[in-house]
Amino acid sequence: MPLPIEDLWAVSPEIWLAGLGLLLLVLDLFVPSGRKAIVGWAAAAGLTLGLVPILGLVGVTPRTVFFGTYVVDGFAIFFKIVAVASTVLVILSAMDVLRGQTQFEGEMYILLTFTALGLSLMAGSADLIMVVLSIEFVSLCSYVMAGYFKADRRGNEAGLKYFLFGAGASAVMIYGFSILYGLTGQTSLYAIASALSGAPRPAVVVALVMALAGIGFKVSMVPFHQWTPDVYEGAPTPVAAFLSVASKAAGFAVLLRLLAVAFASAPVDWITLIAGLSAVTMTVGNLLALPQRNIKRMLAYSSISHAGFLLMGVAAYAGEFAQGLLYYILAYAFTNLGAFFVAVTVGQRLGTDDIPAYAGLGERAPALAWLMALFMLSLTGIPPTAGFVGKFYIFGAAVQNGLIWLAAIGVVNSVIALYYYVGVIRAMFLMPPASAGPVGQPAALQLALGITGLGTLAAGLFPQPFVTLVSAASLLLRF
Amino acid sequence: MLLVDWLYVGVFLVVGLAMAALPLAVVWALAPRLAQPQKRTTYESGVVPFGQAWAQFNVRYYLFSLVFVIFDVEVIYLYPWSIVFRQYGRYAFFVMLIFVGILLLGLIHAWRKGALEWT
Repeated sequence: MPLPIEDLWAVSPEIWLAGLGLLLLVLDLFVPSGRKAIVGWAAAAGLTLGLVPILGLVGVTPRTVFFGTYVVDGFAIFFKIVAVASTVLVILSAMDVLRGQTQFEGEMYILLTFTALGLSLMAGSADLIMVVLSIEFVSLCSYVMAGYFKADRRGNEAGLKYFLFGAGASAVMIYGFSILYGLTGQTSLYAIASALSGAPRPAVVVALVMALAGIGFKVSMVPFHQWTPDVYEGAPTPVAAFLSVASKAAGFAVLLRLLAVAFASAPVDWITLIAGLSAVTMTVGNLLALPQRNIKRMLAYSSISHAGFLLMGVAAYAGEFAQGLLYYILAYAFTNLGAFFVAVTVGQRLGTDDIPAYAGLGERAPALAWLMALFMLSLTGIPPTAGFVGKFYIFGAAVQNGLIWLAAIGVVNSVIALYYYVGVIRAMFLMPPASAGPVGQPAALQLALGITGLGTLAAGLFPQPFVTLVSAASLLLRF
Repeated sequence: MLLVDWLYVGVFLVVGLAMAALPLAVVWALAPRLAQPQKRTTYESGVVPFGQAWAQFNVRYYLFSLVFVIFDVEVIYLYPWSIVFRQYGRYAFFVMLIFVGILLLGLIHAWRKGALEWT
């Protein structure tokens, strides 16, 4: 039966992204190999234009399209904005790194565009089949991007490790979904929700834990986090930035929709489970980040601990502070992208990712160093940065929902995190530079750094408009 | 009733197996057997094999098989489409046109990137 035209209108952002990806595929064929940056600029411009149909859907009445398999609500739109905007920033930061490195430069921008499409689909999936397909779509693109430097040993390791871990996690997740289907006979999350309330408890627990394995892999939740440092280290730094922000945000969108919709009335206490995983994730991530000397590995472990904080937001996704999770994701997106972009610049110009190489950056590139200091403080959660407001909301949500013990663990972890974040600031401003001379920054990277720095400051100093934004987005379509 | 239905299946199974086994049995009973050394080679009437099977294969086989799988899957989708085509008419035509168009774009991409070149 032909689809109603309103349904097509509701997925106009996805149609735009798919068309853009195909267009770039053709464009890439006709751009000579020395000037592939054209494809990058076209991708960035097209994705920015893609924000127009997404913003056009803001305020739309939440509803499902395509026979109940896909949702258009404020929650999905928020995650689509995060996915597309961070992809634009990543492309801007990647163009200098990728120039002339391999013969597959154009493909990278195309893959990033298609991954943005996959992330948008993840945000709106309301059906087990759609969830699996969109996660696999994103994963397959990510494996290729992680192993982009295929001639490099570490790049090779990153791609293969990510693929093997991902395939295993997906298999377990699909098995869990098959149990869900067996229990309810439904694939729609909304239909599962009503059918699960009478299901036998042990089977529901098994299904939940197995489903968490696949999604936990995507958001690098302990104990499915082991791939994170190796992949971030071996992948091109912009790709690591992309995986740590865009993939993770979309993973949380799927996780929250699955738990809050399908498991809403299930005979299983998922809030306690997620709260426990949150405590373990942030503690393990933090403790392992302490001894790291490579900035990418440090940021990888730090992103694991931030997954723990975000899980706290998932466990406390109710009541007045429900928007805490979304605000944290927004703050984390700006901050973590910015921190990775500084790492991109330094890695590109100085040829190393070791933290001691940051010594004297305060003299050699003051703007870069101050920005990095801002990002580090924001990741710790010190005012007046976005990270502080995000942590404030998430701890508030935890306290309000009776998870005071979890909030306490979170505060302790924030103090521990201060040590390794400030370690970078100390290297930049207090240690003497190894070699003199300014560190140059390409224009596209400056733009990306400026946007993320401005966002981190603005969301910290003037949180009100952002709070209004995420409050509007925090309503999840429930039946 | 159900049992009788399954009985038909059982009869068909037995007769089918017999039809397959009978010629083999007849051949086994009647045919003469001559032990000639050529009969033990890999290709009885082909190239004389040499070396091991554990050789390096050209990676291009892999590219070709990927492209093949794409169009293999396309055909799988074309079959159900052709069943409902008459029912939905023009709509079904344009939907499939988009689908095939995307795959065609992929083929053009693979072609231009040299994935179909052997040398």
